[in-house]
Amino acid sequence: MKEFEYTIKDELGIHARPAGMLVKEAAKYQSTIMLDTGVKKVDAKKIMALMTSGAVKGTVVKCTAEGPDEAEAITAIEKFFKDNL
Amino acid sequence: MGLFDAFKKKGIEIGAPMKGKCVAIQEVNDPTFSDEILGKGVAVMPEEGSMYAPADGVITTIFPTGHAVGMTTEDGVEILVHLGLDTVALKGDGFEIKAEEGQKVKKGDLLIVADLEKIKAAGYDVITPIVICNSADFGSVNGMAGKDVNPGDSVIEIKK
Repeated sequence: MKEFEYTIKDELGIHARPAGMLVKEAAKYQSTIMLDTGVKKVDAKKIMALMTSGAVKGTVVKCTAEGPDEAEAITAIEKFFKDNL
Repeated sequence: MGLFDAFKKKGIEIGAPMKGKCVAIQEVNDPTFSDEILGKGVAVMPEEGSMYAPADGVITTIFPTGHAVGMTTEDGVEILVHLGLDTVALKGDGFEIKAEEGQKVKKGDLLIVADLEKIKAAGYDVITPIVICNSADFGSVNGMAGKDVNPGDSVIEIKK
């Protein structure tokens, strides 16, 4: 299992657009990708779950990837967070 | 014929959340919606600012900004109604929230009241996509675009 932690900098958090983009990115990988916001632990491949994750500016998100392509997946998702959130 | 067979045959119908003109999701000027990244669906160009529950179910999320509502129906359909494009940036200005997360709602219950003129004046497109976030869980999700709708009129048909 691979993981990283990231503090959300985007003022609006994970709203509809970033949730959609994140699912699109996560869906490229076979690994199970989970986000833990401290409020909820959600599947990064499920849009509605992401939008209810409670991630707002300042939230520390712990992301884990587990599966055959976990190394590539965690690198891509961490880049996504840095670029978009 | 069992209940499940009846369900399979008839499909699930999702109602319009607002009064207006129902258009294809591809006409929405935002690729997040038009490319169906958030799911398949339709959009309503609203004529009135009241947004109603499109089906019976539970409110899964209401953004604190009041610009979008997510709900889950009894059949497990996850519906996102997003009032306007980029309206998250208004931070709630022009939106009044009339329901809360976790609330059980009936189709037609009032969820949000928006001041469409104020939102338009601020430079935002008020087109309101209605998308099925878990479209992949169903056999088909078909929008019924190209007609004027009142709240509750069927705009999406879903089959298992």
